[in-house]
Amino acid sequence: MSTFFQTLIVGLRLGSIYALIALGYTMVYGIIRLINFAHGDFIMVGGYTMIFVVPAVLALGLPAWAAVVAAIAVCVLVGMATELIAYRPVRKKGTAMTALITAIAMSLFLENLAQAIPAIGPNPKVASQIFSAGGISIGPVTLEYTTIITIVISAVVMIVLWEFTQKTRLGRAMRCVSEDKAAATLMGINVNRTILLTFAIGSGLAAVAALMYMAQYPKVYTTMGSLLGLKAFVSAVLGGIGIIPGAVLGGIVIGLVESFTTSYISSSMADTFVFLILIVVLIIKPAGILGRNAGEKV
Amino acid sequence: MKRKSLFSLLLALCMMLSLAACGGSSDTSKADSASGDTAAAGASDEKIVIGVISPNTGALAAYGNGVVTGADLAVEQINAAGGILGRQVELIKTDDQSDPTECLNAFNSLVAQGVGMIVGSATSGCTSAITDAANEEEICLLSPTATADSITTEDDYVFRACYADSFQGAIAAAYAKQAGFDKVGVVYCAADVYSKGLYDSFSSACGKYGIEVVDAQSTASLDVQDYTNQFASMVKAGVDFVYAPFYYDVIGPYVVPQARAAGYSGVIMGADGYDTTPDYVVDGADLSAFNKVYWTNHYDPTDSSEKVSSFVKAYEDKYGSVPSAFAATAYDCVYMYKAAIEAAGSASPAAVRDALADTSTVYECVTGTFSLDESGTPVKGAAIIAFESDGSSVTSKLLDVVSKLPE
Repeated sequence: MSTFFQTLIVGLRLGSIYALIALGYTMVYGIIRLINFAHGDFIMVGGYTMIFVVPAVLALGLPAWAAVVAAIAVCVLVGMATELIAYRPVRKKGTAMTALITAIAMSLFLENLAQAIPAIGPNPKVASQIFSAGGISIGPVTLEYTTIITIVISAVVMIVLWEFTQKTRLGRAMRCVSEDKAAATLMGINVNRTILLTFAIGSGLAAVAALMYMAQYPKVYTTMGSLLGLKAFVSAVLGGIGIIPGAVLGGIVIGLVESFTTSYISSSMADTFVFLILIVVLIIKPAGILGRNAGEKV
Repeated sequence: MKRKSLFSLLLALCMMLSLAACGGSSDTSKADSASGDTAAAGASDEKIVIGVISPNTGALAAYGNGVVTGADLAVEQINAAGGILGRQVELIKTDDQSDPTECLNAFNSLVAQGVGMIVGSATSGCTSAITDAANEEEICLLSPTATADSITTEDDYVFRACYADSFQGAIAAAYAKQAGFDKVGVVYCAADVYSKGLYDSFSSACGKYGIEVVDAQSTASLDVQDYTNQFASMVKAGVDFVYAPFYYDVIGPYVVPQARAAGYSGVIMGADGYDTTPDYVVDGADLSAFNKVYWTNHYDPTDSSEKVSSFVKAYEDKYGSVPSAFAATAYDCVYMYKAAIEAAGSASPAAVRDALADTSTVYECVTGTFSLDESGTPVKGAAIIAFESDGSSVTSKLLDVVSKLPE
């Protein structure tokens, strides 16, 4: 029984991180139907920002997690710059396919750029302790506070995003853009500004995800975004891409599948099962767990 | 079309000529050194030239720095003591940037300069790029730290001063037996050559020593972040010794802290990939997790034996830092060449090769007293290093030396 609980907790820990990252994917996809492959690399940008800012934050007498403010600022700037410099010009001239390729190019560009910066380089860096250790003990296993915080943050972000897109003016503008850009323009919505704002929110979420990732897995390296981003993307697709609660559900499911495969089936096959589950779900329900075949998204 | 084929014919002709020229020059250089030896056994003023190939720039520049400084120190000492066979020694250093192609270029440039003996390279990847060329050109190649099993084979010109990866795993098993563990577990990565190779040799040695491997758990890749389930499985299996051959970049931040969090309190043992782990631990976390973490290394700088302490002192006096395993093995490489040249009575590559291939020669080196096996790999033990922590920092200390594998 303790194995079961331990596995469950590891699954939730991984899943809550995937969920937080998947929210960023789904957000951008929901508005401009672009799979932003560089999103995983925004996590890396946020991670390195925190590596460099945490000592300064500690020197000021603030808690280490306060460095996330700087990370959010840097990620938002990088995200908006990516949209302005790479995605927007390509979107104007090309098709959905060219936009997708640009996203992959952007991902590789960010990884290699980071390696070329002398202060970052190819060697991994290990972060300082961000939250104090401890947790709730259930028999022999411990549910760490960081895991609980990550799950709570994912849930709060999910609810806030949902309310934001349903109730606020800007959120409604986003949904309009996602449904029909031309009609949105006719309604007086500044489409480009709305998309830019979407990127800002998505990238800011990446910084929050980076904080929670580093709190539990305190190592950053330049290519960390690729597998992490891929799993989060799979989570978003599994839950139904473009659907905000779907991202969280998908993330938790992927984390649990990974953990339970390791414990109960084969420890070397965890990734195999993650992607197998994706294929099976997509065969049975092509739009994802919470997806509907038609109708509006976000 | 015709023109093109004529052109390519010309090109091919040029290449053949240049190849012939190469062969000729190396022949004459060999003849030169051979005649030098016969002319005067003791008083020749012609220098013995040893080439060095190491990654002096690039990602592994720290390895290259170790190799160059270690070899320099050895040559300085040898020359001060009168050289080899009365001749002074000179090093020609080249840089492979830890890139196999650059390594081959460096090798070719050394051959073009008439070098017949080479120390290099530091990594298995680079070294394996030049082993065939060394055999073809009949140039002695002695690697300080290329540990992949495939580097040395019988009847060739390639030797090394370090043990092979397959041996490191066996040393860990020997230590487990010596320390009284009869049930052990393994956590490794089935997708990585280094980790899988060490797991294979560890588990087969366990079979030999009557140790039962009760649980073996793998990870999907080296990119995995969570090792909790694997170590929870070890706890369930009731083992107090887990062999976990990974690199420092996951041992420091992930494996050890997560293993302790999963309730595993026994020994965690690894291989030379654990080197530099203390630079990769989480500041502010409870580092007492690193107690009872052991790993096999090529040598121990705090060893109090005369050989090691005089080497470490000389190195510290010259460079102001503690010599790495790379410096120690490169230093040994130069002294191995010295022993081989003296045994052969000649510095010609073929004679030195035969001397190195003599499995009865015993080398008294910093990284151990050993002889080479038929393939050219040392038969020697390893230092077992333990991490120690007071909770806020991690240091290394020598735990034990396994000088010989038990039968």
